[in-house]
Amino acid sequence: MSDKIFHPARESHEIFKASRLTGDATLEDLDSIRKRTSVYVYEAPVRLWHWINAACITVLIVTGYFIGRPLPSMQIAEAYDQFVMGYIRFAHFAAAQVLTVGFFGRIYWAFMGNHHAKQMFYIPLFNRRFWHELIFELRWYFFLEREPKKYVGHNPLAQIAMFFFMTLGLTFMLITGWALYAEGAGQGSLPDMAMGWVLGLVQNSQRLHTLHHLGMWAIVVFMIIHIYAAIREDIMSRQSMVSTMISGHRTFKDDRVE
Amino acid sequence: MGQIETFYDVMRRQGITRRSFMKYCSLTAAALGLGPAFVPKIAHAMETKPRTPVIWVHGLECTCCSESFIRSAHPLAKDVVLSMISLDYDDTLMAAAGHAAEAAFEETIQKYKGNYILAVEGNPPMNEDGMYCITGGKPFVEKLRHAAKDAKAIISWGACASYGCVQAAAPNPTRATPVHKVILDKPIIKVPGCPPIAEVMTGVITYMLTFDRFPELDRQGRPAMFYGQRIHDKCYRRPHFDAGQFVEHWDDENARKGYCLYKMGCKGPTTYNACSTVRWNEGVSFPIQSGHGCIGCSEDGFWDQGSFYDRLTNIKQFGIEATADKIGMTAAGAVGGAVAVHAAISALKRAQKKTEEA
Amino acid sequence: MTVLNTPNGFAMDNSGRRIVVDPVTRIEGHMRCEVNVDENNVIRNAVSTGTMWRGLEVILKGRDPRDAWAFTERICGVCTGTHALTSVRAVEDALGISIPDNANSIRNIMQLALQIHDHVVHFYHLHALDWVNPINALRADPKATSELQQMVSPSHPLSSPGYFRDVQNRLKKFVESGQLGLFKNGYWDNPAYLLPPEADLMATTHYLEALDLQKEIVKVHTIFGGKNPHPNWLVGGVPCPINVHSTGAVGAINMERLNLVSSIIDLCQDFNRNVYVPDVIAIGGFYKNWLYGGGLSSKACLAYGDIPENPNDFSAEQLHLPRGAIINGNLNEVHDVDVRDPEQVQEFVDHSWYTYGEPGRGLHPWDGVTEPKFELGPNAKGTKTNIEELDEAAKYSWIKAPRWKGHAMEVGPLARYIVGYAKGHEDIKNQVDGLLRTMNLPVSALFSTLGRTAARALESEYCGRLQKHFFDKLVTNIKNGDENTANIEKWDPSTWPKEAKGVGMTEAPRGALGHWIKIKDGRIENYQCVVPTTWNGSPRDTKGTIGAFEASLMDTKMERPEEPVEILRTLHSFDPCLACSTH
Ligand code: HEM
Ligand code: HEM
Ligand code: NFV
Ligand code: SF4
Ligand code: SF4
Ligand code: F3S
Ligand SMILES: [Mg+2]
Repeated sequence: MSDKIFHPARESHEIFKASRLTGDATLEDLDSIRKRTSVYVYEAPVRLWHWINAACITVLIVTGYFIGRPLPSMQIAEAYDQFVMGYIRFAHFAAAQVLTVGFFGRIYWAFMGNHHAKQMFYIPLFNRRFWHELIFELRWYFFLEREPKKYVGHNPLAQIAMFFFMTLGLTFMLITGWALYAEGAGQGSLPDMAMGWVLGLVQNSQRLHTLHHLGMWAIVVFMIIHIYAAIREDIMSRQSMVSTMISGHRTFKDDRVE
Repeated sequence: MGQIETFYDVMRRQGITRRSFMKYCSLTAAALGLGPAFVPKIAHAMETKPRTPVIWVHGLECTCCSESFIRSAHPLAKDVVLSMISLDYDDTLMAAAGHAAEAAFEETIQKYKGNYILAVEGNPPMNEDGMYCITGGKPFVEKLRHAAKDAKAIISWGACASYGCVQAAAPNPTRATPVHKVILDKPIIKVPGCPPIAEVMTGVITYMLTFDRFPELDRQGRPAMFYGQRIHDKCYRRPHFDAGQFVEHWDDENARKGYCLYKMGCKGPTTYNACSTVRWNEGVSFPIQSGHGCIGCSEDGFWDQGSFYDRLTNIKQFGIEATADKIGMTAAGAVGGAVAVHAAISALKRAQKKTEEA
Repeated sequence: MTVLNTPNGFAMDNSGRRIVVDPVTRIEGHMRCEVNVDENNVIRNAVSTGTMWRGLEVILKGRDPRDAWAFTERICGVCTGTHALTSVRAVEDALGISIPDNANSIRNIMQLALQIHDHVVHFYHLHALDWVNPINALRADPKATSELQQMVSPSHPLSSPGYFRDVQNRLKKFVESGQLGLFKNGYWDNPAYLLPPEADLMATTHYLEALDLQKEIVKVHTIFGGKNPHPNWLVGGVPCPINVHSTGAVGAINMERLNLVSSIIDLCQDFNRNVYVPDVIAIGGFYKNWLYGGGLSSKACLAYGDIPENPNDFSAEQLHLPRGAIINGNLNEVHDVDVRDPEQVQEFVDHSWYTYGEPGRGLHPWDGVTEPKFELGPNAKGTKTNIEELDEAAKYSWIKAPRWKGHAMEVGPLARYIVGYAKGHEDIKNQVDGLLRTMNLPVSALFSTLGRTAARALESEYCGRLQKHFFDKLVTNIKNGDENTANIEKWDPSTWPKEAKGVGMTEAPRGALGHWIKIKDGRIENYQCVVPTTWNGSPRDTKGTIGAFEASLMDTKMERPEEPVEILRTLHSFDPCLACSTH
């Protein structure tokens, strides 16, 4: 199996000269498209991570919001017996632990998995084709193109969003989150030794809370766009989307190469 | 921290004879208007280990740190000043003024080079060549640098010396600057708070005298023993926080029951200080116990984080002021709206395409 | 230049020898004083300079008015709380917020605690060393001291010969160590010190007693405001809720807290009656002939009044500390004071290190401007960063020059007492007459350095009684079922008008204090403080009128000009607070 990306611009394969197929397709993918019009893109660990991650983030957002803006006071039992805020924070921290482990697992898989498993972690800055496709994708979203392209992995717009909101965004949430956690765990604790420096950097813990809180909104924004785009593309694009994240297979709705 | 030489040691080192030393002692006695009976006693004292000399200077400040210091109950401020240290210069309390005061300042520096503690209350302004704070006709920053040069160690009292405090709040018209940004070559211990708790102040001093070293410091240079945990970590209202029982409005039923002040903007969760344990004024109370949230007075830049009644920092970067939630909800709302519109157009286009194809 | 006659009746002659005192110590903040003495060492020209500025009025712009109390409170940690109270009053005035009865009582109890604390600390720890010689105390006979103590104050329990011997031994050990600490380089052999050793020992002992006591007085702040210095306040009332009956009372002002307040009030009353007032009378007795320092007190006094009996009612007759203005030395007419009137209170900056853009202007604080402009006059000696002598004909202080209808005014305990006396305020009149009778002095003796110091002691005692009054009022009100401490109707800025302006007043320990606020779109548009020491320490104004500090130094004879005991004495009698004055 070759993970080498096929670059029509650089390599002069006659048949693909006029191809508008995406730049991230490997030779093998292209073969596959013609034969089966279905590609195995997201391996099981990626899919598993995707859905666990989505669940954790949902929990983190809901609980995080209520940490910042608690529910109206309730009198269920005596203070020592009632633990509303405690449970909310517990859920937040539990989801945060899973999210953290998952994120490291996902990074591991970027090395171990297939080519597509890496896509989220970088932006191909020096690939001209990427930028052309990005412009094309923008035109598609602005209703300036009649027909979308086929992509095996993420389209360039998605890749950028994944990179900024997930790779960087989640890193930011992990760092600020653990720095906050370190404050409660106390000086000398493991989280403190790992992340205590962050508080030293921003100087004032209130600022840290604010940054973490703002980060949540960035992720909310990503979620809205991401889910909308996934469903829209599922309907309007030339390939499967939602089912891909379940089965791992990208199926194409037509056999045209371009 | 090195041992303090006795005054006699210093004089001997400088080649002064026993004879001149005794003469010095009798002159001292005479200057004080005391009889010759005092001379041998003064001589004896000068041959034994002196109390650690302290020079306490004041920059731009409100003097609440001094006021707090004299509230100390254990040890009593009078015991600190009479028996533990020698407060050789402090413009707020000393008898002498003008030239006589400046002479006391200079004498202490010369006599105890490398052995005195410099306590700084307030901070130097750097704008207008430092002339927003003048002492002896000169900018305070000069006096600070001069005293720091031969100090054994420096204590930055309060939020002023540690961080800049209220005069450094935006737009900091005088460019009030914390001590550690002016004195770069001396060990500095920050004892922040506006003011710090009295017993924390005397606790830090007595620690240094007792163990002859700096206490362990946290990442921000504050003594970890008093500033290592947040108010919130040891707050007696914490069970109400965990239970989700909050004061919803000032003086509501929950306030009277002593519920958590989180929703009133309490900064306990983001403030490192000893208030919830040591408490104030001999343990009588502390801000939260008396019904007002913590305002974060021992934290860097606590004046510029927005209203004391908001939990999160105010964000001014976008021209108008906003909270994190305002910004987030606006962004999410805008994006949500855009998505809805986009979806509608998409549906329309798709329908068009279908009819075209049909 | 030789003699310059000021509009308020002083002849300033700066031809003699110039004496510079900088730093002036045992005050709050940074201050410089320059005087010219004639050949008889009599002061003929006085220049008082505030030598610090922080810019609080600039910093407050654009902030949430509900936060202003915390910022202004940090104007001063000595008169801690009075700026905060003034600030919440200004905001409440602007927004039309009325506070509950309990909040009024609690605020008064706190403000009175500040008065007592500040007065006691001032007298014993800032002022006493101008009159008392602790080194001389070593010569005292403890037995004779004990007799003196029992004579001066028969009810003070700490009066045995053994007690005084212990203190004396401790003092002796301290002096013998050769490390004189705070007493270093004092003027201990200056003939200006007149007390016999026994009186010196008694007063030095009380220096230490007062040091222990002062930390008790402020616990009232700690109970209601959570800490001291810098207790917490709240726009609309007080932050501490009351709960004396039901579950959770331990989280609020409850019976235990009230008992603690009550015991502190008793402690203060005992100290005022058994120690403070008797000490002032005893020490004052030895200095009876040193009647310098009257300054403006016999000419122009100002008080805003404070300690309202009922919440939200600041009419003069409802205030326990009197309001009024006396000008031109006419005690028969006490003028009404209206701080909203643009013609009454104005600040000038012609001799201050600020600019209004044009010379000679006076601004009412609502329209006040704070724009620093540091420059030395052409006749100043030295350089910008090494001032040897100031040029008082030009700008020379960080303090602005406030004027009431154009007059420089003295404010503070003495001003309050003169206004109260002139108005026939019963408690004040009884106290003053009693004191003058005891000391066998005429009313005119009040207009002096000693008068200022005595008025402060009397006021401390009066404030103790008022504290008791408001404590009883608080308890009665709670008994009648009212536990309210805050009014939150207008807590939310969305309930505020688009624009509003207000003014808050208090009688701070050092005198009349006012904060003027303008609010626009929920934010502070302008904030101006005119502070007691701004009045007293004011530099000259456009017309050359001198302020209270400068006036009070005039014509004082100095024993040894190089040892400024007399200057310190008189300046200290005002209890100068420079952080306050310039803010
Ligand atoms: C909290 C919610 C979610 C988060 C944070 C999230 C995050 C992500 C991430 C990081 C990827 C890239 C996967 C990779 O390369 O490893 C991805 C891909 C994908 N997600 Fe989600 N996701 C969320 C919810 C959903 C939902 C609800 C759907 C289905 C409706 C969905 C459908 C997809 C699809 C189809 C892809 C593949 C997109 C493509 O190939 O361009 N996601 N998601
Ligand atoms: C997508 C990821 C996350 C989101 C959206 C999120 C959201 C939030 C929000 C909105 C808050 C409230 C902040 C405030 O107003 O003070 C919060 C608090 C917090 N979060 Fe997260 N968070 C995330 C990840 C994490 C992680 C990975 C950790 C690591 C342990 C973490 C630990 C914390 C802690 C310790 C707090 C403070 C709790 C408290 O003050 O009681 N968070 N989070
Ligand atoms: N002057 C002054 Fe203050 C007082 N009293 C305040 O208003 O001291 Ni700092
Ligand atoms: S730190 Fe705060 S309390 Fe201390 S001098 Fe500064 S303003 Fe005053
Ligand atoms: S009152 Fe403040 S410090 Fe105490 S538990 Fe609540 S939020 Fe934390
Ligand atoms: S405001 Fe300051 S006094 Fe303590 S409770 Fe908060 S750190
Ligand atoms: Mg002002």
